[in-house]
Amino acid sequence: MERIKVESVSYSYQNKYQTVEAVKEVTCTFETGKMYVITGESGSGKSTFLSLLAGLDIPKNGTITVDGEDLSRIDRDAYRREKVAVIYQAFHLFPLLTALENVMYPLEIQGVARKEARERAEEYLKEVGIDEKKFGKYPRMMSGGEQQRTAVARAMASGGRILLADEPTGNLDTENEEKIVELLISLAHDRDFTVIMVTHNRQIAERADVRLVMKDGRMQVLSERDVSITGLAGQ
Amino acid sequence: MTFYYSIKQIARSPLKSLLFFLLIGGCAFFLALGGSFWYMGSDDLQNFDEKYTTIGTVEQKYEGTTTTSHWDPEAEAYEYYSGGYYGEWLDEDVLDFEGADYILEPRQRPFFGAYIENLYDGIGSPDMGTVEATPVETGAMYPSLLMRVVRTIDGTMEEGELFYLCDHQNPEPDVLEAGKSYVMQIQMRTFAHGPAVKEGEEILEYWLAPGITSTQYTLENEQVYDPVNEEERYYDEVTDGFYETERGKRWLKLASFQELKMRTIPVQPTDGTDLLMHFYNGEAQITEGRDITEEEYRQGAKVCLVPEFLAMRLGVGVGDKLNLPLYYADYSSSVGDASILGSQGPVLFNILNAQGELYEVFNEQEYEIVGIYTAEDKGSGSYSAGENEVVIPWNAVPENCWKDNIVGVAPMTGATTSFQIPNGTIEEFQEKWKSLGIDDLEIRFYDMGYTQLKENLENRELMSVVFLVSGCVMAVMILCFFSNLFITGQRERIAAERLMGRTKRQCALSILTGMLILSAAGCISGSGAGWLASEKAAESVGDTLEFDRTYSDNAVADAEPAEEPEPPGVGLPCATGAVLLAASAAVSAGYMGKTLKKEPLRMLGEIEE
Repeated sequence: MERIKVESVSYSYQNKYQTVEAVKEVTCTFETGKMYVITGESGSGKSTFLSLLAGLDIPKNGTITVDGEDLSRIDRDAYRREKVAVIYQAFHLFPLLTALENVMYPLEIQGVARKEARERAEEYLKEVGIDEKKFGKYPRMMSGGEQQRTAVARAMASGGRILLADEPTGNLDTENEEKIVELLISLAHDRDFTVIMVTHNRQIAERADVRLVMKDGRMQVLSERDVSITGLAGQ
Repeated sequence: MTFYYSIKQIARSPLKSLLFFLLIGGCAFFLALGGSFWYMGSDDLQNFDEKYTTIGTVEQKYEGTTTTSHWDPEAEAYEYYSGGYYGEWLDEDVLDFEGADYILEPRQRPFFGAYIENLYDGIGSPDMGTVEATPVETGAMYPSLLMRVVRTIDGTMEEGELFYLCDHQNPEPDVLEAGKSYVMQIQMRTFAHGPAVKEGEEILEYWLAPGITSTQYTLENEQVYDPVNEEERYYDEVTDGFYETERGKRWLKLASFQELKMRTIPVQPTDGTDLLMHFYNGEAQITEGRDITEEEYRQGAKVCLVPEFLAMRLGVGVGDKLNLPLYYADYSSSVGDASILGSQGPVLFNILNAQGELYEVFNEQEYEIVGIYTAEDKGSGSYSAGENEVVIPWNAVPENCWKDNIVGVAPMTGATTSFQIPNGTIEEFQEKWKSLGIDDLEIRFYDMGYTQLKENLENRELMSVVFLVSGCVMAVMILCFFSNLFITGQRERIAAERLMGRTKRQCALSILTGMLILSAAGCISGSGAGWLASEKAAESVGDTLEFDRTYSDNAVADAEPAEEPEPPGVGLPCATGAVLLAASAAVSAGYMGKTLKKEPLRMLGEIEE
């Protein structure tokens, strides 16, 4: 089932010295229940593309529709609150909140009462394999893998079913990397998340349902099992 | 929720939060204290200006020194003395130069003699008298010549009374013949001496006084011509019909001398009480009633200040009227000097004018007594209060109506010529005065320490400005530093919150709430502490002011209690605290706005890099 549709999207921005055309004429769709991996060199436009999908920027040209709604026409703060979550290589948990509070935070943003938020946050943390003893720990007191799993729990708590992951395993050892990848695949396959991951890791990329590559702002399919990708005409 | 998590996160970084609280509190303290000091300093400066008076006195300098001689009959030789002499007398007009910002202009003050009919309370003085006398034996008037009174024209001597007469001034003293009668004005001076005096007898001798000569002057300091003055002789031989002659008639007019002397009081016209040094330096203080006001001085109101002893003698008090018939004006000395010489009021040695007549009253008015003062002699000489000196507004007497009654002149002296300038302008005045190049006048300034006190006050004000500025600079630095720490340092949190769908406004609120709460707490605590410190400071400043004002309020003794300096109250620290809090909100909002401009993923990318 198609969740995100990207049509002829281009995006450029002005840095200190020049106009950078970060994304060029990208057209693609992302479906429910699949994990997508985008690879590419640094500066190829991966993170910018991810921010367009997160609704943080609006394409200069083209459209992005999510569940049939044009991102440029909807309340994008509400979109991020309700439909999409992002995890990062450096976890970016709130350092002064405990693991449990980090997960409660997005729930309370959505208006969930504190008591219920606590109960649900505990469930999410258990689901991602965080020991109950660690619920009250601050991020700095947890290992990298635990922090990233907490970040995934926080993403799950956000209520959205689109998970954007920007190099989520970049700071993890092999064991934790494996756990996180399994967790993300499970979210896609078992809980109907649309997981879009940016990574440089070839082994992880090979486990994706769809492998995409970005080069100079253009998108290219490296392999696909059950997804349609267009937009290669310009290459 | 925003508040809850914001406070939670602030509370979980206690060291940083405490440091921010203390530093912002310190800023608020300095600002409140500096503001209070500045307020009090400005208030004090204004009060000091009202309380202090700066006056200048003018004295003509001697142009050089000259040698004078006096005959010493005992040594039978002249004694020589060195003394100063004046060049051309300058008048107060030379002080009227551009830029001289006088409050009261310099004027050389005369003092007036007023005849008070009901003042006499004795039988007269044996010190002086006018008599017709004959020598017991023919002899020169040196050494002491024994004389017998033939007729008393003025004074307490009686007919047949013996006295010694001596002329110490003349190297060739005149010979008085026994059997002849001579009229003279005599003044008691030293002990009698010579063969006529019995051994072991200690009796005072008399010298000749000026008698019928005159010392009348014009306003231009020129002596009015009097032919009697041509003869340098202070006595006359009485022959038949002598009292019908011009000189004879004059001698008879001296019969009024004692009466005038005993019933005359000095009246000091002035443009301000503080221009009189004995009031300015505290030797004279008003103990009952009040001072003459500036307005009364300006308008020439018929009011006066009366010394306590005179008021007692006349049986008058505050609110009573005092009639002052003024009959002579004397520029030759200050009231203080004249009183010292006379001991019972100023002595007018020459009561006759150049026409040989008694001086007539040139102005007579009733004055209301508004204040009674006491004066003590602190050895100020010319600057001391005169015996029975009554003070009146100069403008109460028509200008120069005394021009035909001037009995003595002298150049300006510090005791007779003074002026008032604005406080704190001495240096400016001196610079302008020096640029005129007039060296013949010496100007002395008195400000009762105003310049030094003002300097101290200005230093205090400067200190308050330093407090204020340092408080402001500190505040800006601390706010920038902590805004950077709390906001820019929280980019990760901001980006994460934005990615969770929080609006920019919600993000700003989430980050700033805790910081502003800390800032508000610091501002309230610091301002409160600053207010308390300023109250303490006001108390200690009050003690200092009490001393200073006691020193400065000389004209009116105990007229009003020393005022406490008005503390700024709670309004000022509240205002400084509010300003600091507003600055805190503005600076942090600026940092927040700048941070929120960045796209969250790019921000996180930067952090990761």
